[in-house]
Amino acid sequence: MSLDLPYYLSQEFLFRNALLGGVLVGGLCAVLGIYVVLRRLELLAVALPQASAAGIALSFWLSGHAHAAGDAGHGLALLGSLGGAFGCLLVLAAVRRSPLPPESRVAALYALASAATVLFVASNPAGDIELTSLLRGDLLAITDRDLARLAAVAGGIALLFAAFRREILLASVDPEFARTLGRDPARADTLLYALLGVAISLGVMCAGPLVVFGFLTLPALAALRAAGSLVVAFALAVAIGVGASTGGFALAYQLDLPAGPVEVVLAAVPWLAIVGASVLRRRHGARAIALLLVLLSGTPLACAHDGDSAPGDAPSPPMPDPAARGTFPALPPGEEVAVLPVRNDTGQPLRLAAVNPLEDLRRAAGDPFAPPSATVADALTTLSAVELGRRGIPVRAAETVRRAFPTAPASPAIAAASARAAGLPGPLLLPTLRRYSFGESRVLLVWLDLALVDAADGRIVWRGEARRPIPLPAAQTQTEVLVDATAPLFDEALGTR
Amino acid sequence: MDDVLLRLDDARIGYAGRVIIHAACVTLRRHELVVIAGPNGSGKTTLLRALAGLQPLQGGERHASGIRIGYVPQRERIDPLVPLRAEDVVGLGLFGELRPWQRMGATERARVRDALERCRALDLARRPWRVLSAGQRQRVLIARALVVRPDVLLLDEPTAGLDPATEREIVAMLDELRRLEALAVCLVSHQLEPLAGRSTRVLRVEKGEVSPEARTP
Repeated sequence: MSLDLPYYLSQEFLFRNALLGGVLVGGLCAVLGIYVVLRRLELLAVALPQASAAGIALSFWLSGHAHAAGDAGHGLALLGSLGGAFGCLLVLAAVRRSPLPPESRVAALYALASAATVLFVASNPAGDIELTSLLRGDLLAITDRDLARLAAVAGGIALLFAAFRREILLASVDPEFARTLGRDPARADTLLYALLGVAISLGVMCAGPLVVFGFLTLPALAALRAAGSLVVAFALAVAIGVGASTGGFALAYQLDLPAGPVEVVLAAVPWLAIVGASVLRRRHGARAIALLLVLLSGTPLACAHDGDSAPGDAPSPPMPDPAARGTFPALPPGEEVAVLPVRNDTGQPLRLAAVNPLEDLRRAAGDPFAPPSATVADALTTLSAVELGRRGIPVRAAETVRRAFPTAPASPAIAAASARAAGLPGPLLLPTLRRYSFGESRVLLVWLDLALVDAADGRIVWRGEARRPIPLPAAQTQTEVLVDATAPLFDEALGTR
Repeated sequence: MDDVLLRLDDARIGYAGRVIIHAACVTLRRHELVVIAGPNGSGKTTLLRALAGLQPLQGGERHASGIRIGYVPQRERIDPLVPLRAEDVVGLGLFGELRPWQRMGATERARVRDALERCRALDLARRPWRVLSAGQRQRVLIARALVVRPDVLLLDEPTAGLDPATEREIVAMLDELRRLEALAVCLVSHQLEPLAGRSTRVLRVEKGEVSPEARTP
């Protein structure tokens, strides 16, 4: 696994805006998070993002929009997010003289905001899409205009924060002393809460409440434990925030995991390391820390050693999977590839609408003579054979293969055994579809695995894979999605020859 | 009368309609070391805060035009979690003078060092606030008040929780400041013994009254 940062930052990378947006949110929340932790506002840092989420859900419920409804939808979401966060702050300001402790009031608002979010989403016809987008954040759908807005607002917040840093520090450290200097701590507090409100509103829109809360607390916790001065604490928090955003995004992209939770887990690593080292030092003294550091530093060295051995070193043990990767290999003369049915591991039926709508009606009416509905997996089986043929690879007749393999085999060994039993010598191409989804963001998220299997012994001799998201702005139907995605999908999986 | 720096006339002091001190008359003059004493909960800190201008009066008047206040709160007010060094804490005292984009220059840094030196705490300048002892923190907080170049130094229980030796050192330092630097020093304290021979007056706060200003022998 490699972190190809230049590629991620290039215009060619589809999720470049999402990555940059995440970095902005991570850095901004990390800076403000120093004051969230110093002033024990962690509970507010949970409640405000939740109130923002409730505001977004309310705005879409009132307007009857789905969450990802283009630029107008993003503007509406921003209004809702700001309304939720500042509404929560105004309520807290209005009840600030209540005899209850402030934590109780914030906790009550958090409970109310959480319940309201669920209820607004449940009342919205587009609720399913909305709920997922809200909880995970909508970074993937971030447009150039969104990114520009986010950068402008983040820049404005950073400027205001820098200009009034002394007032905010004084009000946070010693408000009474601030008043003896002629500074009004209430004004500084208002500014800090306003900056928090705007940052949280934007952050929730782009990354979701979990990421915002994580970045408001975790980088600051580590930085305040490790830093000897406030300037260093800010620098450390920003480094952790930006590093966790970038690293978490790359890791999530490589492992096909949701980016937000991965980023939060990465942001927690420095804090966990500091706390762990502190516990070890208390219980076992400095030697335990030294041992831990040696072990930690030894692990990556050992990993690096595998792939980069010095002259004279013993050769590394062979990798367990000897299958070649990359461009589909040339076959010996006279051999033909049998393209087996695509195995659908997505958990979805992925049915395609019939070209003739009457066929769908016949199936719906239970007509036993109606032709079976085609699926994306069926279409990809045919397209795999066509694309191999386009690359000059001889392919066995589809009818022959279909007779031997009416359904997709469960494993290479079973495929090889079935091929031998059916008298099909030569290589077998085993395609597996692991992910296939196309949503409002007009991006096809697809993961197609290809394995070339030797029918004689069931050994995998080559592997190919296509996992990059494919933007399809013009596709309207499932068939158009397949047609438009074919070339980039198979170029990545089979390579270009 | 030129020596009078701060005066409360018939001041009624309290919170949210509840009067804690009735008709306090207090005058602070240059070179004085005034002690506010009294039982727990009598309103000593409230009186000090009124002198500092932090507690709005419910009646009466406060005369403090043209003077600078150096305020030293109780040590526990500054959270040890804040990663500030001693010199940063003292530098907070200059925040009232610096413009938004103005950096702390050589002049300001010299003032911080000077204030620390006057409190015999220059060696603590680079040390984190959280590792300082109670006595060291007290010196740093007094330096922070001095960096303001105050006319009146107001301190809330500066000797509470200190060992007797440190307590004596702090009191001696305050006495030196008021004698050599033409300051009026006013502090809240539970114990009068360490201040014997140093304080010029004691104000007793009890049952909502401030005792007549009696000069200590």
